[in-house]
Amino acid sequence: MTVVSFLTVLRLILAAQVFQRPLRTGLTVIGVALGVSASVAVRTANVDVLRSFEQAVLTVAGPTTLEISGGELGLDEQIMTAIRQVPGVRSSSPVILQTAVITRGDRQETVQVLGLDLLAEVESRGFHLRQAADRRLEAMLDPNTILLGKGVASEWGVSVGETIDLQVGPGLTTCRIVGLLEDATDRTALWSRLAVMDIAAAQVTFGMVGRLDRIDLVTEKDRDVEEVAQALRAIVPPTVTVERPSSRTAQVDHMMRAFRLNVTVLSWVGLLVGMFLIYNTMAFAVAQRRREIGIYRAIGMTQARVAGLFLSEAAALGLAGGLLGSAAGFLLASELVKLLSRTISDLYVPVGVGNGLALEPDWLWRLAAEGIFVGCAVSMIGSVGPSMNAARTAPVRALAPGDYEVGQRLRVGALGMGGFILLVIAGVLSTADPVDGVPVPGYASTLCLLAGLSCIAPVCVTGWRRGIRQPGLQSTMGGIMRAIAIDHAARNPGRNGVSISALMVGLSIMIGVLVMIKSFRNTVEVWVSETVMADVIVAPSLWLRGTEAGSTGRSLPGSWSEVLSSIPGVAEVDTYRDVRVTVQGRRAAIVSRDLRIHARMSRYWVRHGDSAGRLVHAADIDGVLISEILADQLGIREGDSLELVTPEGARRFPIVAVFYDYATDGGKVLMDRRLYQSLWRDDLVTVFPVYLDKGADLDLVRERMATRLSEVGGRLPPLLISNAELRKEVLEIFDRTFLLTYVLEAIAVVIAMLGIVNTLVTSVLERRREFATLRAIGAGERQIGQLVLWEATYLGLIGIGLGLVGGGALAVLLIEVINKQSFGWTIHMIVPLGGILQAVGLAAAATLTAGYFPSRWAGRQSIVEGLREE
Amino acid sequence: MVVLKRLSKAYVRGGTLVTALREVDLEIKEGDFCAFVGPSGCGKSTLLNLVAGLDQPTSGEIILDGRSTVGFSNAEWTAMRRETIGIVFQAFHLVPALTAEENVALPLLLRGEGRRDVMKRVDEMLELVGMRPRRSHRPGELSGGEQQRVAIARALAHRPRLLLADEPTGNLDSHQGAAIMTLLKTLAMAGRQTVLLVTHSRHAAQTADYVWTMQDGRLVARAERVEEAVS
Repeated sequence: MTVVSFLTVLRLILAAQVFQRPLRTGLTVIGVALGVSASVAVRTANVDVLRSFEQAVLTVAGPTTLEISGGELGLDEQIMTAIRQVPGVRSSSPVILQTAVITRGDRQETVQVLGLDLLAEVESRGFHLRQAADRRLEAMLDPNTILLGKGVASEWGVSVGETIDLQVGPGLTTCRIVGLLEDATDRTALWSRLAVMDIAAAQVTFGMVGRLDRIDLVTEKDRDVEEVAQALRAIVPPTVTVERPSSRTAQVDHMMRAFRLNVTVLSWVGLLVGMFLIYNTMAFAVAQRRREIGIYRAIGMTQARVAGLFLSEAAALGLAGGLLGSAAGFLLASELVKLLSRTISDLYVPVGVGNGLALEPDWLWRLAAEGIFVGCAVSMIGSVGPSMNAARTAPVRALAPGDYEVGQRLRVGALGMGGFILLVIAGVLSTADPVDGVPVPGYASTLCLLAGLSCIAPVCVTGWRRGIRQPGLQSTMGGIMRAIAIDHAARNPGRNGVSISALMVGLSIMIGVLVMIKSFRNTVEVWVSETVMADVIVAPSLWLRGTEAGSTGRSLPGSWSEVLSSIPGVAEVDTYRDVRVTVQGRRAAIVSRDLRIHARMSRYWVRHGDSAGRLVHAADIDGVLISEILADQLGIREGDSLELVTPEGARRFPIVAVFYDYATDGGKVLMDRRLYQSLWRDDLVTVFPVYLDKGADLDLVRERMATRLSEVGGRLPPLLISNAELRKEVLEIFDRTFLLTYVLEAIAVVIAMLGIVNTLVTSVLERRREFATLRAIGAGERQIGQLVLWEATYLGLIGIGLGLVGGGALAVLLIEVINKQSFGWTIHMIVPLGGILQAVGLAAAATLTAGYFPSRWAGRQSIVEGLREE
Repeated sequence: MVVLKRLSKAYVRGGTLVTALREVDLEIKEGDFCAFVGPSGCGKSTLLNLVAGLDQPTSGEIILDGRSTVGFSNAEWTAMRRETIGIVFQAFHLVPALTAEENVALPLLLRGEGRRDVMKRVDEMLELVGMRPRRSHRPGELSGGEQQRVAIARALAHRPRLLLADEPTGNLDSHQGAAIMTLLKTLAMAGRQTVLLVTHSRHAAQTADYVWTMQDGRLVARAERVEEAVS
């Protein structure tokens, strides 16, 4: 048979199979499509968020080749004079990039405000001015004027000449719109989403007179950029960075790596469960078409071609599933991207929450092609076993009358032993170190755990039969339909084992992730309640917006400490400053506060010793406390010293204690405010934790604070958050972060349900003769339905049992290995019985629902046709 | 016991209308042992399927035990089979998951009979068909003749008044076939059951009290002896 004729045969057979078995074909395609959709959606959302960030960076950077950044603490503008002297620097532009909130009535929205030297930069950065009220640049340089992106203006229904209110840090500024911005090219719409001010106006508005966020440089074309960067690094303060604009994307990519990797791996669970579904469909197809295979072999088809035939069928299913899944994935991604952007903005950097996907068509085609490839690959991998089985079928045996399963006896014992070995390997892998910071052995351990339990599933199917039912009339009396159902299930350990595995994987993931999330939530809740003891937190108005708020939106003047201390009812005022820095190449935060006040009023969860003693000791000896994440990342511990680059140069600090911290997956260095100020010369405060006198009325003191601060702080009052409100907010951010996890989990569970439906439909099709016989000797439709439901129950019970074991083990792996190696947090495990019961109930309900429709259908099959089936 | 009035059955196969049974009128009295013979496709099995309620007629009426089955729901046919009808198939159709005794008990359990009655009746039936020593074996462990004995025991376990046998010796050799027909006849006589037997086998048909010959969906002749019918 030539390849061409084989392809003709293949086409004929494929068409016949698809149209003869539309229901099962449909179920399988939907299962694959769901798996593909989850993976495509997560991949697309990840790419979209990063591409948007990259595009934003590069568009705003314009012709910039190097950026000099002072991080959160900013730069002294005087440095520009020295920079301009460096050989190779053609031009330098001061930049302020902050976030403000536009307010009009009750409506609020964040907008990135860029402060630029408008005299030098209009028409050179990539934006045009449209509808300028006054084309004269002098008008645009006026303080309290703003150029607003066309898109933002149209959404807000404002036009040139009108005013808008901008909330920035503790202040509120009213700005007149003097022009609308639009992008110079059609490739991006970034400028139409921004606002621009002249640099001087921005310095005033954001309280940064004499300071800048960044200086953008254009280097001479004939000079090596890296060479110029080296020369610049030699003259700027040690805390200032000199980098290409594109390296910011790489940094963000690296920062989010663990988060994105974990979400991506979770999105693959749907593919894994889909693979089980394909296995089942193809295994049944091979069993049912045993005679057909015999005929093909008898008329000259080779073993390889028979295998190829079934692999091609699987690939066709995968292709259909991949196409559907990619389309569904893009739809899902347009929602997911908002969720992901919000989470990344909460946890890492502000990436802006767009409206749906902003990817270019090239990227969408590429991601769709990936989805289709994944669909085909998953289908073909899932069908390798059944296809090989088909190829090995001896023609004589295939053509002989007999039972379907004869040709595919399963060596259940050997498989069970293999499963046990895989579980041992999973245990060994769980103790291995991560590879380049990625918990590769942890993931491999998870895979071995699930594969091991999958191999044990057929043993349970056959083994439990002996436990549940001994052949004989006595046991049958308990329920004839139950007996038949269990016996039938046990006679098909291969196929049923796979369905059970699908359910087991779905439930294991549900329980494992649930235990991890609940444990994590509980740990965070206890941590917050034991370490955040302040009665009121005085914070900038944008503080709860996290990184979105920009650096000035997250700081208050240090002078407020005295104002707050003078208010009746206030016992102590702490000054908490949180600044992002790089510690030995790793992202971290330097936290400074009055350690003595904190020692008296609150505590840290220190790994060894008592909190108060360590805090006071650190204040005494100019030492630091570091978070466990940083300690683990740098391989240092209590008693060692830590080198930090300060504005005064590199300096070593003794490590007094290591503390548990769950606020960020970057590290933290805690030091006394006095020490911090002496080195960083930063008087700002991020928040003021305020402790009240015993018996003081919280609402009354808060009211006094609001009144007093409005007198000194401008028109916009800061946030005065009570302890309870803060805890609530922390948990809300936590829950929002894990929402994505639940979405992906739900997809895996739906696919597992489809697996059960597929198995039961298969079982009904396979047993039409048996059901017809039962009907002929007096069984009613309901009794046949009960039989199918009993089978579903039996499979469900085993799946749930294994799922509980898998879920428990997975929870330990997630908490102790994968989370620990990915993020570094120590999570105290709890067993959320209620949640587990809900998951089990959901799995049971899913199984019975999946069994319900096949059970109804089984009872309604034609008896005469059923009796004619071989 | 069985009255058929102008009973017809037609169905579409491959786009062509096939008439399997054409306006058959027939009355079979209680206790009769009647055989139907004829070439393949003449409508014998269709007739049996309609009487058992396994298939629905296109037109006409079936009266069983004095009750017209016109308009019977699925549930009523199920009840009729549980109470009144026993069926023996050519391919035995035992439930492979169950042992011989469980298969025999099946119709009784489906009727919801009590444990003691079921046990007693199963013992009795296995004794009658000579399968007591093999009671714990599954169908796959029994010979064809043994499987058909179990199938007969199952068909008669709930004491049906009408026994329908569709080629009961079709999958057996002549020796086993003769033994099965003897057994069937003996048990039916003992239980005073009415028997409708569809067969190709001349030997099997000889067991009947009288024989109907069928051709092209019609009853063409009744004979007291199979030789007459065949001739």
